[in-house]
Amino acid sequence: MSLAFRSEIEITVWLAGCSIVDVAILPRSRPAVMRLFAGKPASSVLSVLPRLFSLCAVAQQVAYLSAVEAARGEDAAAETVQRRVTAVVAERLTELVRGLFVRQLAFDGTGAEAVRALMHAATVLGGVASEGAREGAMREAVSQIKSAVTALGTTRETQCPEPGRAPAAAHLARFNAQALSLPAIEQSFLSVADDPDVIARLLTEGASFSGAPELHGRIPETGVWARRGGREQILALDAGPAERLKARLAEVARLLAWLDDAERDLEDGVIASYSLGNQRGAAAVECARGRLYHAIELDDEDRIVRFQLLAPTEWNFHARGPLVQSLKGSRLAAGPRGQDAVRTFVGSFDPCVSFNLNFHEAGRA
Amino acid sequence: MCLAIPAAVTKILPDEMAVVSIDGVGKEISVALIEDLAVGDYVIIHVGYALTKIDPEEARRTLDLLRELSVE
Repeated sequence: MSLAFRSEIEITVWLAGCSIVDVAILPRSRPAVMRLFAGKPASSVLSVLPRLFSLCAVAQQVAYLSAVEAARGEDAAAETVQRRVTAVVAERLTELVRGLFVRQLAFDGTGAEAVRALMHAATVLGGVASEGAREGAMREAVSQIKSAVTALGTTRETQCPEPGRAPAAAHLARFNAQALSLPAIEQSFLSVADDPDVIARLLTEGASFSGAPELHGRIPETGVWARRGGREQILALDAGPAERLKARLAEVARLLAWLDDAERDLEDGVIASYSLGNQRGAAAVECARGRLYHAIELDDEDRIVRFQLLAPTEWNFHARGPLVQSLKGSRLAAGPRGQDAVRTFVGSFDPCVSFNLNFHEAGRA
Repeated sequence: MCLAIPAAVTKILPDEMAVVSIDGVGKEISVALIEDLAVGDYVIIHVGYALTKIDPEEARRTLDLLRELSVE
């Protein structure tokens, strides 16, 4: 039996000269997770999630645990929630940094070593935070994360890469603002305020909603840029890849500062859970790529009757979503320079997404 | 959703590259993020990079799970 998955999003950009006239997105396969989980004891699924979702394993586990607790009518202790937030933040930070390098840059020795150290320390922090009550180990892991991120050229103080400090500064210096000119479009951001509507639709419409989510004609963006939009009222309506990547680096700096001082403000709703009655519950977790939703219904024996998952990717890479709307009407430089800029722009919507990008002249087969 | 698909390392190449087998299909990837990798190890790959090393039993259980998911 083979693994019949299409693991990459296929993006086709249609050009008329130097203008993008259309963008088509063919999504990845969406495995029927519900089929796998149906009838299973709720407690048995937690250990399966990291096996399925390696890139956001902590966020998936926290979303699942929070949804199950909500379905059971249980409240997690404040310290437990805080440990989960710490683990989610550590994972988010790691994926934001790793995503800057694995797709864009050839590693030099320092960069690869720093990213390895970062991944290791974040894993340690996630584990320690889950187990709790080991302040010394947590401080050590946070210290290692800070060292690794500093080695990559970003610090909590600078909020953006220091000039000349490789590799993050070199990464940003590659972007040429002239290579891609985007239209100014109205932006819409997914936030905690949307949770009730999203969860209601997820439970009533199931896979037809989670595969192509839309909120009354609105397909909001989620992720780094949306989180920044939630903090700052004015964001450039035609922001290109460089602005979006700067926002990612600024978020890395904010997360580092938060790991140092958890009393600082983080955005609202990093973890939000909702008891819906009749053994139904849901949760949303703000992970690196955006807002992740789980919704679950249990029977009287704590077995799964219904399970729905909505990944952040489905908003950003919706066939009529924010990426498509941003790219349509853009003008790009001729040749590889313009195509590279589009590739970088697509990648800036999601630190982890795997995609193929194809360019065609409109009117040609 | 990014699924974690395990791949078996079949050949170590120069410059921190390797060939892996994903369900029988060979692919060249970077192993810059993994240390001490050997032929026969299992790794989780993403966008052309090996991200983590996992033990063979964990890889087998993950592949079984993914096959169960991919049944139409």
